[in-house]
Amino acid sequence: MNRRNLLFGLAQSSRRSLAAVDQPPVVQGGIDEYTTPLTLEDVLHLYRRMSFAVSRPQATQQVGKTARQVVEELLGLDTASEPSPAMRFGPWTDPATKQPVDWTENPEGADLQTRNAIEGWWRANHRTLSNWTLGLMRDDQTVTERLTLFWMSHWITEFSFDEIYMVPQMIYRQYMTLRNDRLGDFRKMALDMTVDNAMLFYLGGTYNEVGRPNENYARELMELFTTGIGWYTEGDVQQAARVLTGWKASRFNDQPAPKGIYNAWFDAAKHDMGAKEFMGVTIAARTNDNNTEFQVLNEEVYELIKIIFRVRQDAVARFVARKMYLFFVYSSAGDVDPTFLNELATEFKANDFRLRPLMLKLFTSQHFFDTSIRGAQIKTPVEFVVGMQRQLGVNENDPQTWVDRMDQTMFDPLTVAGWPGYRSWISTNSYPRRREFARMLIDAMSDTRANAFIREFSNYEDVDAFVKDVTVFLLPVAVSAERLAYYKNALLEGQPDYTWAEKLMQPPAASRAMKELLKAIAKAPDFQLC
Amino acid sequence: MKRRTFLSTTTAAAVGTQVLGGVPLHAFTPADLDQRVQAEDDRILIVIQMFGGNDGLNTIIPADDPEYYKIRPSIAVPKEKAVNVLSRVYMHPSLDSKAPYNLRRMFEDGRLAIVNGIGYDNPSLSHFRSTDIWLSGFNSSDPEKRLVDGWLGRYWASKVQGFPEVLPDDPIAVQIGGSLSMLLQSRRGDIGIALTDPQKFFELGQGLSPDMQPMSEDTRYGREFNFVRLVAEQSDRYSSVVKQAFDKGANKVAYEKNSFVEQMKLVARLISGGLKSKVFLVYLGGFDTHVQQQDENLNGLHPYLLEMLSTGIGTFMQDALIQGFADRVVGMTVSEFGRRPYENGSRGTDHGASSVQFVFGNGVRAGVYGDMPDLSNFDSNGDVRYQYDFRRVYADVFENWFGGTPADTESILEDRVLPLGVLQRSTSVNDAYDGRVQVNVRVAPHPVTDQATIEWQQPVPGIVKVDIYGTEGRFIKNLFTDRALPGTMRVPVHGLASGSYICCVSVNGARSVVPLTVVR
Repeated sequence: MNRRNLLFGLAQSSRRSLAAVDQPPVVQGGIDEYTTPLTLEDVLHLYRRMSFAVSRPQATQQVGKTARQVVEELLGLDTASEPSPAMRFGPWTDPATKQPVDWTENPEGADLQTRNAIEGWWRANHRTLSNWTLGLMRDDQTVTERLTLFWMSHWITEFSFDEIYMVPQMIYRQYMTLRNDRLGDFRKMALDMTVDNAMLFYLGGTYNEVGRPNENYARELMELFTTGIGWYTEGDVQQAARVLTGWKASRFNDQPAPKGIYNAWFDAAKHDMGAKEFMGVTIAARTNDNNTEFQVLNEEVYELIKIIFRVRQDAVARFVARKMYLFFVYSSAGDVDPTFLNELATEFKANDFRLRPLMLKLFTSQHFFDTSIRGAQIKTPVEFVVGMQRQLGVNENDPQTWVDRMDQTMFDPLTVAGWPGYRSWISTNSYPRRREFARMLIDAMSDTRANAFIREFSNYEDVDAFVKDVTVFLLPVAVSAERLAYYKNALLEGQPDYTWAEKLMQPPAASRAMKELLKAIAKAPDFQLC
Repeated sequence: MKRRTFLSTTTAAAVGTQVLGGVPLHAFTPADLDQRVQAEDDRILIVIQMFGGNDGLNTIIPADDPEYYKIRPSIAVPKEKAVNVLSRVYMHPSLDSKAPYNLRRMFEDGRLAIVNGIGYDNPSLSHFRSTDIWLSGFNSSDPEKRLVDGWLGRYWASKVQGFPEVLPDDPIAVQIGGSLSMLLQSRRGDIGIALTDPQKFFELGQGLSPDMQPMSEDTRYGREFNFVRLVAEQSDRYSSVVKQAFDKGANKVAYEKNSFVEQMKLVARLISGGLKSKVFLVYLGGFDTHVQQQDENLNGLHPYLLEMLSTGIGTFMQDALIQGFADRVVGMTVSEFGRRPYENGSRGTDHGASSVQFVFGNGVRAGVYGDMPDLSNFDSNGDVRYQYDFRRVYADVFENWFGGTPADTESILEDRVLPLGVLQRSTSVNDAYDGRVQVNVRVAPHPVTDQATIEWQQPVPGIVKVDIYGTEGRFIKNLFTDRALPGTMRVPVHGLASGSYICCVSVNGARSVVPLTVVR
């Protein structure tokens, strides 16, 4: 007898028994359009995934429309309106002299005090920028900011990496570029990001020069941003790096900035003019006569991107479709429905890599509205924090601190691959913080607000209907009768049904009861799901 | 987990009825057994993840190789500045860090193993794929194969009875820092907790257990519901366990104030306070040194990271020695790859392949494993060739540290992998119990030219396997599997091409190895 086996149970047997569980439940419905008029549950689902959660009054207004109507409304115009309020970076005053200081100074080589002051100013601006975007997301009536956040999670840069900081003004410019590109041609977005000032700095493009190649961006352009791994050779990486030589980031006032500070520029002398062989296509050599920014950008950089999108079109289409699926539908990497993914990728190619038709297809598909994916998505910290403010109608002034505590520092993912997502969002570190935030936000509801919230539910006087409606509004899937009874008990604080009418006549009592119910719901595991 | 109680019952039932491996069971009283198993149970592994791809050639310096100075004109460590710790072995001077105890001292004291040429076949130069390969323990070059759980997650999820329905009293694993690493994930749920601040964890964790039972239906929603539910329960339960250990524990040496060193400090304090976790994971990022990794004075990002690494490990070890738990802890570094041997144009290095790994603690067989990298024979990408499959050290952890068997290695790694032998295997009561005995293996004639025989004295009856592995540690073929009785065993060698191999004879799961060379 093997005592060890007896003690622990055999590894093999447990693995086998799990194999059956590993088959994902089937999702019904493919890419065909979901044409049924939307129910309240459908509307809530659409907002939770495509946008953030939505207020109850706004949700009820959308009931009865088609998915296409609401999705078009949410996508908005291709051209993004100017963000309001506009971003304002704080002025920097020298702590010693109290005088305004040139904030484009290079902290490297400066004395320690200046260096700390500059970096402190950057950190403050990073927080300002983060709160600004989180505020825009909360107030956005379209999905402009939501989609920009998605693309910022794709074209990764980091505020803090390798013991250095990215100047927040650079991140802001990248955000605005992606905001404009969010629904357009994906190739154009790839081009804009390839010569983006923040990206050139972050992935070392600014150091990539003729005779001194730096492969960092060239590799990630394919691996993380377009084709995914396995669709290029090491030779392709080296050749792409040569194509991309000569582009310079501008960060500080002691560096050349022919186009102004924080704008990328082209240094012709640092560009590799030789011919390149990339993915079996030749990019011709050039001479000093045609080595201009305009010519190299179009004939080499854009050409490189077009080659990737032509030679590896299936890979690109699948890669981007998959990224979207994980972000908006179900983030378990092992459970992406291959048939639906193929349909989505085919649509992307058929629309010549334009993003708007792809988004429209995804969010109006029968697959997207199937009940089997509802409640399957773990809310990201941003979704949790922004969504809950919308649901309760309560604003938090410093949301970036909260998402940061939940392991999502805005504009600062852990690595160039972005946030790992899915279950990594919930750990013994972040989960208690989510519960803390929920408690705090519920407590921050004024009695007036809590009573108004109650009256957003048309059947609020009928205690059973009210409790059910609140769970439908806050939880992704209908809950059992047992749970409804438990929640009613929380609302009534253990008292009989008729006391609800009495509480409703006393705003402080109604408010207290409402908060008890909200706190009970916020404790449920599915309050983390959408 | 009530292992202590369970064990006494089973041993009591077994005493007097069984003779295994030639050793009658009553030779051990239940108390003896309990103590021995308890000692084995107390063993801890620390994994230090060096994200970004550590530059092995600028960690252990090939200072005797002129080729090194040719390929790294601006970032090589000059021979006179490299720290010579053994004949032909030089460390980056930052590893001889300012701390009183550091990796250099640990090497000199026999507490550090340097494994050269750690890597794997067909290397991925992607941070993420390669990290997934290292953390999952699966080397799959097929990018479509999703790597979703960790080698330690799978191992402990399979070893802890009843997991996850029954949670052990202490967390099986603790990661210092935010989102839980794939290393500690299993398909049955996370085996570990993520922890940044024990006090805050305690304050926030109390009472978080959900009021609801797990969902029984297997839907996507049900799965994620149960996942969140388990984390909520772990938060509640472990927040007080961690707090108790933190309050009871102490640090007996001064630690530097930086994030990595402070992570090691927290690990030491939790161990000192009696937390019975098996695995601790700490993180040191920033090794993706494409740009300005080191200036002419040997300052820069890479030296800075090496200094932190060495100080963190050294100070922890000093603390462990003073507090008396040094024998129970070993640690290893993991990094997804090394750097390209040729420096790039930005005083940095691009992604490479094999690199160097550190394994530390009183339980290691200290020394240098493998040869210095061959800088005249690169792979098709111009990268250093690997000498040892990275999973060999994992096999060491299973078989020589956590008391597992070759069968565990095979089932967890889904492959037969030979331990490197970097951890000392102490013969335990389980070995006697299961008849696991090592033998002296001879191959004659050797080197093998035509016919040869593998021979040993079989001391006990049992299951015998004779396997041939490549020198990098990957399984090649099985020559013999059968029951054997005590006596002289002879197995003929056949079907091997010219080359170097390792022959492994396992008797009831105890491995004995001998090098084997074939010259045809």
